[in-house]
Amino acid sequence: MNTTRNQPSARKFWSWFIPLRRDIGSWAFALNRITALGLTLYLFLHLGVLGLLAQGPGAYDDFLVLTENPFIKLGEWAVVAAAILHGLNGIRIVLTSFGVGVTRQKQLFYGFMLIAVFVILIFTARMY
Amino acid sequence: MTEQWNITLRIYRQKENEAPHFDNFNMEVSPDEYVLDAVERAWAFHDRTLCFRHACHHSTCGACGMRVNGVEKLSCITLIRDIAHNGATLKVEPLRNFPVVSDLAVDMGFFYRKMESVGARAVLPVMEAEIGNPPAQWEAEASQYIRLSDCIECGLCISACPIMATTPEYLGPAPLAAAQDHGIQRKPELLSIVDGEDGVWRCHSAFECTAVCPSFVDPARRIMDLRKQVVGARLSKLFGKA
Amino acid sequence: MSKPHVIVIGAGFTGVATAHDLALRGCAVTVVERGDLCHGTSGRTHGLLHSGGRYAVSDKESAIECIDENLILRRIVPQVIEPNGGLFIAIEEGDLAYAEQFIESCEECHIPLEELKPQEALKLEPNINPKVLTAFLIPDGTFDPLRLALAFAGTAKHNGARFRTFHEVQGFLTDGQGNVNGVKVLDRAANKVEELRAEVVVNATGAWAGEITGMAGLDAPVKPTPGIMVAYNQRFVQRAINRLNTPSDGDIVLPQRRMVVVGTTSFDAENVDYIPVTEEQTQLMLERGSALIPGIRNAKPRGIYMAARPLVGGGSGRSIARTFKCYDHKETHNLDGLVTITGGKATTLRAMAEKTTDIVCAKVGIDKPCVTKETPLLSYRQYYSSPN
Repeated sequence: MNTTRNQPSARKFWSWFIPLRRDIGSWAFALNRITALGLTLYLFLHLGVLGLLAQGPGAYDDFLVLTENPFIKLGEWAVVAAAILHGLNGIRIVLTSFGVGVTRQKQLFYGFMLIAVFVILIFTARMY
Repeated sequence: MTEQWNITLRIYRQKENEAPHFDNFNMEVSPDEYVLDAVERAWAFHDRTLCFRHACHHSTCGACGMRVNGVEKLSCITLIRDIAHNGATLKVEPLRNFPVVSDLAVDMGFFYRKMESVGARAVLPVMEAEIGNPPAQWEAEASQYIRLSDCIECGLCISACPIMATTPEYLGPAPLAAAQDHGIQRKPELLSIVDGEDGVWRCHSAFECTAVCPSFVDPARRIMDLRKQVVGARLSKLFGKA
Repeated sequence: MSKPHVIVIGAGFTGVATAHDLALRGCAVTVVERGDLCHGTSGRTHGLLHSGGRYAVSDKESAIECIDENLILRRIVPQVIEPNGGLFIAIEEGDLAYAEQFIESCEECHIPLEELKPQEALKLEPNINPKVLTAFLIPDGTFDPLRLALAFAGTAKHNGARFRTFHEVQGFLTDGQGNVNGVKVLDRAANKVEELRAEVVVNATGAWAGEITGMAGLDAPVKPTPGIMVAYNQRFVQRAINRLNTPSDGDIVLPQRRMVVVGTTSFDAENVDYIPVTEEQTQLMLERGSALIPGIRNAKPRGIYMAARPLVGGGSGRSIARTFKCYDHKETHNLDGLVTITGGKATTLRAMAEKTTDIVCAKVGIDKPCVTKETPLLSYRQYYSSPN
């Protein structure tokens, strides 16, 4: 065997991010990671905003004005949508992690995502 | 009269002290040939400096794993008809997550050491290797037959796994599947190897290993089953001692 | 005292088994191979662990070699073998006529066999042709070609042999008198030429033996004789199924993992580096294979390939003996330092290595007995786990 002169391909930490040509399981995996990152970011923002409460009602009310901004509203929508997607896919992962439905993980994903789309539509209607 | 297609093989090239690049080989192929046949002809008739691996040409040795258009395949059983069309470009690259020796040949060392660490079985009783029920007409004697195990240690799952892409420390789908094949009950020493942050718990359910496995191993199912075994073993240790 | 250095060209069965024996007897071994293990004929061998039944009638020397080595391999490398035996089955009257000489010849070659009635054969193997007229149980087996080589190579590596894969021999290095004392190789992974010196160079390139000896200006009487194999995607049988008759095309079907492999044919070819598959031969395998196992008609091919046997000696096709020959070129052409081993069958790899190593050791002054018969091989994974 030749001594190995070259290292594994360097695209290490972001290659999961674009599951092109991959099977649906990889797409679910990427979706879960992206929604997780989004929700985590939201969590910190939320804690930061709550911190404003400690500065008194005035600071908080000033902030609430900002939230009327349509981009912020879209962000809030995205947070709820992400939570629904992440949560339902999460149930699928919990099930398969305990050996339930592993051989039908694709159908589980499609099924849960159908429910997710449904729920997101309903909540979007109520929000707007 | 066999159909002829004109395709371009776009092959990853890497030699020592040279920057990696792609070489294009335009060739006539029959769509009923395999990708490996085309790669072999590229070596035989176009460029003798091409390095690649192959041996059995029928999915038993696991040597010819490569990425074809970005997806892991055993090139010896991948029909050109199934992944290309007349006039197409076929991108051929080495497996991911392994160090490249040259061109399409990768260093399988760390993967084989992992397989050894779990004592993966190379041969096993026929009845144990079947998933589901064996054909009814087999007699009970069938249980004494020995066959080569399903896993051909091709490394496709290691290449496809997004966790392997982030760390070489993870045991990986095939070694975990091999551990499950033994079972914690039969081989209790496996518990400390697979119950850890680089063992069963590192898997994050992408299921890509099962999607690319050419040999019916279904590593994802085995990893989840192994988790059940690990949890069971831990619980019985907990309550057994109480 | 330093070990004598021997270079082995070729990492197919002959090369790796020879490296193993040489290492055990105290040589420093370097194997150079232009591709990787089993890139040539060895990788694409059918995988039949011969009981010798196939050669018992017409080639008794080969048959006896086979049964002896079969039993040795079962002992030293069970990790790569499906040891479930084999059947010779008669499906036509013409086959039945062969039975008597088959029985006699097997007994002469001490190949254990047991005749079965058709119902007994069908009970053991329900998927064979229901019109089976008689059957003989013999100790055939299936082996994994690459892993068989890896087991020998891994053990050799563990014992100090070095493997330089992707190193292509471009010529010989010679001393003042024209004797070989090394090789010039191209490291294909680095585009670098290297010179390697050795006391003896072993040419273990099988079907390419003539190409290598040609670099020293010599001929080797090896006739590359390719044949086709077709693998199908269902494990119909647990044992090797052979047609009870004189050897012919497509008369062997082997189980391997979840497949069966039908082989083979025999024809001449000039270019051994690439042999294209033909539609006619693929069809022929389908016909002959389904004569033995009708279910093959409904199975899908899972790999179709050609491989060139290294046949030694005159004649053509199936009439050439399947035994092996070792040539010390000091005796054949008064050219020292080069030994060619070619011919043979996968099943006899250890025996080929023993004869070759005997010759090489005599040349370098090593007087140790061969112990490969009794030495179990290490796990085939050792090839990758051992440092280079």
